[in-house]
Parts: sequence; C-alpha cells; structure tokens
Amino acid sequence: MSNLSRRGMLAGAAALAAAPASAQTAPAVHVKGPLVWMNMDQKELDDAYDQAVYAPNRNVVINRCKRNSELARERLGAPKRFTYGPTKFEGLDVFTAKTPNAPIMMYIHGGSWRVGTASDYHYAAEAFLNAGANFVVPDFANVGDVGGSLLPMADQIRRSVVWVYRNAKEFGGDPERIYVSGQSSGGHWIGVLLTTDWQKDYGVPMTIIKGGASGSGMYDLKPVRLSARSKFVHFTDEMEAKLSAQRHLDKLVAPVALVYGSLETPEFQRQSRDFYAAVKAAGKPVTMAVMEGYNHFEVMEAIGNPVSLFGRAAIEIMKLRPA
Amino acid sequence: MNQAAKVQEAKGPLVWLDMDQKALDDAYDQFVYAPNRDQVHKRNMFNSDRVRARLGAPKRHAYGSKPMEQFDLFATGKPNAPINVFIHGGAWRTRAVKDYAFMAEAYVRAGAHWIGLDFDGVEGTNGDLLPMADQVRRGVAWVYNNAKSFGGDPSRIYVSGQSSGAHLTGCVATTDWKDYGVPNDIVKGALCCSGMYDLKPVRLSKRSDYVAFTDESEEKLSSQRRLDRLNCPVIVAYGTFETPEFQRQNREFAAAVKAAGKPVTLLVGEGYNHFEMAEMIGNPLSLLGVAMLEQMKLV
Repeated sequence: MSNLSRRGMLAGAAALAAAPASAQTAPAVHVKGPLVWMNMDQKELDDAYDQAVYAPNRNVVINRCKRNSELARERLGAPKRFTYGPTKFEGLDVFTAKTPNAPIMMYIHGGSWRVGTASDYHYAAEAFLNAGANFVVPDFANVGDVGGSLLPMADQIRRSVVWVYRNAKEFGGDPERIYVSGQSSGGHWIGVLLTTDWQKDYGVPMTIIKGGASGSGMYDLKPVRLSARSKFVHFTDEMEAKLSAQRHLDKLVAPVALVYGSLETPEFQRQSRDFYAAVKAAGKPVTMAVMEGYNHFEVMEAIGNPVSLFGRAAIEIMKLRPA
Repeated sequence: MNQAAKVQEAKGPLVWLDMDQKALDDAYDQFVYAPNRDQVHKRNMFNSDRVRARLGAPKRHAYGSKPMEQFDLFATGKPNAPINVFIHGGAWRTRAVKDYAFMAEAYVRAGAHWIGLDFDGVEGTNGDLLPMADQVRRGVAWVYNNAKSFGGDPSRIYVSGQSSGAHLTGCVATTDWKDYGVPNDIVKGALCCSGMYDLKPVRLSKRSDYVAFTDESEEKLSSQRRLDRLNCPVIVAYGTFETPEFQRQNREFAAAVKAAGKPVTLLVGEGYNHFEMAEMIGNPLSLLGVAMLEQMKLV
C-alpha cells in the first residue's frame, strides 16, 4: 500500500470514528531500490523526511497546540504585534515578561518551511514568561510565498532577530540576552541563526544570540535536497551550502541544546545526533536530550511544558529555571 | 483499532443506553479509542525517571500494614505546605505509583508536597473494589494525621486521580470520614480526571470479567449516588478523544454535582485521549495543571 493511500485510510478512519489513530507506525515493507542516501533508497529517504509516515497523530497534535494557544491567549491576553520588515509577512508577536529588562526567548516555528503561523505557537509563551523571560514569535514567509527558496526566509528570520536586538527596550527586553529556540524546520533555522555571520552581513555583534535550543532540526540539507521535499523547496548548491549549519560551525559562538524524540523518523534522529557530534568535535558547548516515546509533533508540543526535556532545555539555556 | 469495522457489525440487543454489549465493552476498553496507550505509558515511565533524577528519590512511608499500603512523597522545600495526594488509575488493576512520579515536579515547584499512593489492585483483593476504596481513604486519613511530620499542612489536603483513580478519588471525596476518626472536611478539593462515578454500566461491561462487582460495591462506590457527603470543590475533566462512556460519565457527574448545588468545574481537553489526559496533569501550564494549581491556591 502506498503512503498516500495508507495515510488517506488513517485520516478516513479518524474522521469516521472521531477517534485518534495515533499508534506509532513505520512505513510498509517494499522492494528496495538503489540507495540514494546512506542505506536508504528513494522511498525510504522520502519517508524519512515525511513526518506523517512516522507520526500518524500529526493533525491531532497540531490542533491541540492551536487550541492550547487560544487558551494561553485567554490567560495572558493578546501579544503586542510589531513589524520588523517591509513585506506583509514580517511581523512578530511579543509576550512581555513581568519584570523589566528581562531576557528574551525568540521561538522560530516549524512546518516543513511550507506552513505555519506565529499565533499557533503561543502555547509555548507561558513557560518562558513564568521563568522570567519575554517570549517573541516572528512570522515569516512560507517557502511557497517566495518562489521555493529558503534564502529569503533565512534573511527574514535573521532580520527579525536584528529587529529584536535593536528594539528590545521598546518592550522591556534586554538586548544583551537574546536566546532562540525552534523545532523541525524551525530547528533548522536555529542552526542557521547560530551560524550566521552577523557582523559582516547585518552589522550587529557576532554574539547577538546568547544560546539556542533546537528540537528535531535539520543541520545538513543534502539528504533533504535528495528527498521528496525538493518538490516544494527548489534547492540550489548555494542554498544547500549556505543553510547547512553543520558546515559553518566556525561561526558558532553560543551554546546549543539539541532535543529529539525516540519515535521520530530515522533521518530526524540522525540529523540531531550528527550535529551534536560535529559541534562537540569542534570543541564547542552542546547538549543533547532524547525524549523517549515522543514523535516529531509530540516534541513540538513539549516546549509548552516547562518540566519536559524540551521546555527545560530552552529555559535552562537562558540560565533560568522552570517555574 | 478499526472503528469502521465495528460500525459495520450488526447491532445486538441494547444493554446500556443506546449501546449493545460490544459497544459497551468497547466504551470501557481504553485501547479501542487510544491506540497509543503503551507509547504514553512508556513516556510516563521515562519522565518519572527524569523527575526522580532531578528531585531525588521520594521518601517512602507506610500508611497501613499491607505491603501495598505505602506512598511516595516528593517534598517541597516550603514549611507547612499544601499537599496533593494522587490516586493512580489502571482499570483498578495493580500498578506502581512510581510510574506516575512524572506529575510530581509541577506541584513541588509550585510549593506543594506531592504524594502518590500505592494500593492493591483487584488482583490483590479477589476482584473486590471495597478494600481498595478503604485503602486510599486510609491513605488520605494517614496524611491528615501525620502531615506535620513531613512539613505538610493538614488543613490543605487536595486529592487528584485519573481513570479508575478518579473513580477512587470520587469515593474519597464522598467519604463519611467519621468511619476513619477524622474531620469530615479533611479534603479541601479534588481533581477527578476521566473517572467513573456510576458503576452500573461498568458492571454491565466486560470489566466484570475481572472486577467482582456486587450490589454493595456498586452502591457504595458510585460516588454520584453519594453527593450528600461531598463537601469540597471538584474539578471534573475528560478528553474529546475518550470513549463515549468516559465522556458521558464525567459530563453527568459534573451535572449531578452542579444540580446538588455544590461547586464543580468541568474541563474538556480538546484533542486528548484517556492517557494523554493523565499526562497533562504533570504539565503545570496545561488545562489540568493550571486548574489543579489554582484550586490549591498556588497560582
């Protein structure tokens, strides 16, 4: 049975019974084709970059996070909205800390580079506010909005950090304590942000970011480029080279905390492990936590829980404690 | 499980509301509606290990003479602190409360002691629920009588439970405490998450294969029939992906408490199944974590 029809069947069963079909599954056995990446043939590589194959409760968890974002806004009130750049995408949400001059956590959302909106990640705000930080979530273009290239997205996200650095005082934030976190393709962006040449490209200090927590990210785009994701991301040699954080570790000047789930796809587990090993081999500070029994979206959800491994990693990289 | 297949089966005679035997059996079998049961349990064990690594091993106290009559105490640093007593679920079967330690950190950080009771499962009571209810009640009475010995405030005891543990929590909240020689108001609030409060339909289901229900246990341990004794605010909660009966039991219990003119809050976890509801109790920022901490006046 193809992935498509298997997924269609799961979705159909869930709709019929209003019961989640969320047992962990792995792709069906198939006749193996030529290897395209490590020990994987094309189908296996495609599956390893398709979260739904390994996390059939994807939509359940995404909807839960949307709902919990609404509940968070009911408790906290609506965030302040600022514009950080000229295009319609370039706005960011700020939940302000209770105390002035507090550190800032910027959360970069995931969604395969293709979907996602800042307001669906407000569920994570309270964990950081309660720990004593501001919480900032930028919006940015999806890859389909910018001709299939990740480079304009990288520039937007980097400019959102520069805006926060230059305007932190406007919302009571400490520009000298900016931290970043993100998950999935947002984890990819955390790697990119932490290996940006800030001085040369943006005229701000290399140490603009003081630490990053990255969940379930991608740090080398080569296998991603070889996968079915190249149908919606128009990878180029330049894009692959510039946005593979693992190849720019010389620019890394802040500590990194990596997190992934034991039920993620083989590639999403490997990417984190290999990035961890590479940062460590470069002699730079890095930690890694494996969440046993969590799939990709359950890791995403966990940043809203300050006592989970992901929530804790992001809070602790800020030198704060869960509260 | 394959819900579509079930729908296509011919319906048998109705045994409870609009349900035939198979539908009722399924409605008391969590796995039919929550296929990630084992995954979530594994996660809870993993997170419980993490909590013990961070907070240190809990103190172990005995509240009775039987081997299972003990509890884990995760103490908060504050003196004279409120106490959350947790009663675990597991379809009344034997479980170890150490696998629920993942809940403790949220309460300990907020300034409360967290106590997880161990008690017998039906395997240890010849299928009888009455000795289990007696055990958890004695556990709560022990905590009241001995709170000061571990820095707890006996006047701020709260009880929480999930699934069959919420059934027992309902029993605890409707106890005639003079049978235990303690004041009638020793419980100041309760969280009943995904519980059962009327045992009649449970008795009609295949849970009778391993629970030896009697008229006496059905009557005495259906807390919905004992609301005259309820004298603390109750939070009742269920998830939208729970079985039809587990949704109904909680809705109807909340409605009955309200009709009795007593304080009750009904919370609905949208997109959560039975086991994910229990997991939520350990997240201080979740629907249930916030509600419980507010009830304990800790936020």
